[in-house]
Amino acid sequence: MALRSDPAKNLDALFHPSSIAVVGASGTPNTFGYLFMEYLLKAGYPGRLYPVNPRGGTIMGIQAYPRLQEIPDDVDYVISCVGAENVPDLLRQCPEKKVRVVHLFTARLSETGDEKARELEREIAALAERLGIPLIGPNCMGLYYPKERISYAYDLPLTPGPVGGIFQSGGASITYCRLADLRGVSFSKVVSYGNAVDINECDLLEYFVEDEETRIIAIYIEGVRDGRRFFSTLRRAAAVKPVLVLKGGKTGAGNRSTASHTASIAGSLNTWEVLFRQCNAVQAADMEELVDLTAAFCLLPEITGKRVGVAGGSGGKVVLSADECEQSGLEVVAMPDDVMAYIRDRAPQLVGWVSNPVDFSILAGTAVIPGELLESMAKSPGFDLLITNVTEENPYEDRTWAGLIEHETGEYITIARKGIKPIVATIINPELGYGQVDKWRWKTLLKQREILVNNGVPVFSSVRRAAAAVGKLVDYYRNKAYSEV
Amino acid sequence: MLYSTLDEAKAGGRKSLNEVEAKMVLQQAGVPVNPTILAGTRDEAVASARQMGFPVVLKLVSADVLHKTEAGGVALNLADDKQVGEAFDRIMRSARERYPQAVIDGVSVQKMIGRGMEVIVGMSKDSQFGPLLMFGLGGVLVELFRDVSFRIVPLTRRDARSMISEIKGYPMLKGFRGSDPVNEEAIIDVLLKLSDFIDRHPEIEEMDINPLFVDGEGAIAADARIILASV
Repeated sequence: MALRSDPAKNLDALFHPSSIAVVGASGTPNTFGYLFMEYLLKAGYPGRLYPVNPRGGTIMGIQAYPRLQEIPDDVDYVISCVGAENVPDLLRQCPEKKVRVVHLFTARLSETGDEKARELEREIAALAERLGIPLIGPNCMGLYYPKERISYAYDLPLTPGPVGGIFQSGGASITYCRLADLRGVSFSKVVSYGNAVDINECDLLEYFVEDEETRIIAIYIEGVRDGRRFFSTLRRAAAVKPVLVLKGGKTGAGNRSTASHTASIAGSLNTWEVLFRQCNAVQAADMEELVDLTAAFCLLPEITGKRVGVAGGSGGKVVLSADECEQSGLEVVAMPDDVMAYIRDRAPQLVGWVSNPVDFSILAGTAVIPGELLESMAKSPGFDLLITNVTEENPYEDRTWAGLIEHETGEYITIARKGIKPIVATIINPELGYGQVDKWRWKTLLKQREILVNNGVPVFSSVRRAAAAVGKLVDYYRNKAYSEV
Repeated sequence: MLYSTLDEAKAGGRKSLNEVEAKMVLQQAGVPVNPTILAGTRDEAVASARQMGFPVVLKLVSADVLHKTEAGGVALNLADDKQVGEAFDRIMRSARERYPQAVIDGVSVQKMIGRGMEVIVGMSKDSQFGPLLMFGLGGVLVELFRDVSFRIVPLTRRDARSMISEIKGYPMLKGFRGSDPVNEEAIIDVLLKLSDFIDRHPEIEEMDINPLFVDGEGAIAADARIILASV
């Protein structure tokens, strides 16, 4: 593989194609030969786009060529939607067109477990290596690169951002990108790499560590080809940039006989957990948490302190939020003296009653204004970050209720925008049934949620999830600082 | 010749190194060990005990017996010739009764280490990620409580430090209810030396140092076992 000598540098050349051929392109809607063309056209890919189809003619108004070889110019990037048995023929045409990389959307290879398919995959890999053609895949969605207007779904955001994605599964990557988009996250580039016969998770990690467009790396892996290389690559990567990892698939627990205590105890060990902890990679338990972590790392600065102020909500919600913060390793400290001084000044009767977390409902009828109290908490050197909790349980009739909610989120945004202190907002994400989508109350909450997101505030569905993500963020930056000493 | 014990064992097609051989390998790796002699007869055991100085410990040496204590294969705190001789006979008789098929190399003789805490340091291999080092509170209860931590080799100093502080029993090492804290740096040193040695010796498949005695002064391996990869 021509790539091996310096994957980071060489991959970058592959990701900036001035021309793309979709081989197996089709004018029939809902075939992937159609969809890949449509994704690129809709994304506004500015380079030359060549459909390749044995019947020639035009596809989506663009001249099609019967074979790759018949395209008059060189082609930088090939997307293969042909059947697996036709891939060798396609590869043999690539050197003549000076193709830099082939993305094999083509699937039904080793992932089927069928021995013939495995053998064909080995042949494809060997042929590509002999021809010096790097491969992405097979069995994957390839490259999503907003800045270059390259996409593999209709609705992925095209605003470039700081998050780079390495996804073994194309479907998981699309789900992830859509969910993260709703949280104000955008992407440098995401690679869905599938069966990884050539370009694999380690190559991509090395690339993203060097990539100046990428500040945070998110990975979804099911397995790795070379565990030792993955260990050393991940350790180096996480020492430079946050690496957020979701591991799919259960660990294959060995059933070997053991002759020592150590091996007997290690038999029940999940080595992946050891690996992630040792590398200071940030592990997500599920897709939701991967999205939470991405929002936190993308939108928050490098927080290394754990003293959290929690504001908003009332009654039991306040008590629960304190518990949830503590469970995630955050410290719900007593209200600092400078904030208490503000309260004493405004409403002496609240001294001894108001504490951290702040229950906004008890401020009613006093001269303490929630927004001002929050700002004084933001300014206090006694807090490292604030978690605000939209008081959606306020007891008023519709119009008043909505007005209060809007006012509250407005206050959060105002203070967040001052940039005095990292602030995250929590607002319920109701799991709506179809019949509830248009209900006024839910719409109000969803709207406020969106306004918070659009103003760059990290939004979480609960204090528990906010605290879990922020707790892991703090741990990451603390460990990183420690390893730099 | 460096690492000759390992080389000899490999050359001889051996899979398992007994306590005495394993300790020689550890010594060559730079890990402090409690000097130990292998005695094949009662007379040799007594002579070895005199050489080491009383009180001594006698332990069964057999690749076929993992749990020596259960096999009646350990005798502690033996104060004189007579106790050593009787212990030798008792250990051999018990081993032959309970493990009639076992190949018995003899009995190891070493000076009793009367102080410090018992910890375990071990190594095993993961099919994907290669050698792992394990650390935990040691002794006979290790498999019951499983208060252990793991790291993938090679370890950084930070890995070694954090794998010690990560276990639940860490306060015991820091000095619990008046006991003296153990020398953590000595444990870190053992872990790093093993990490380095294992990294250079892929033929080592499994290892136990159990117990490693640690106190305020340092660390010393009191028992050990090494399994080599079958090639």
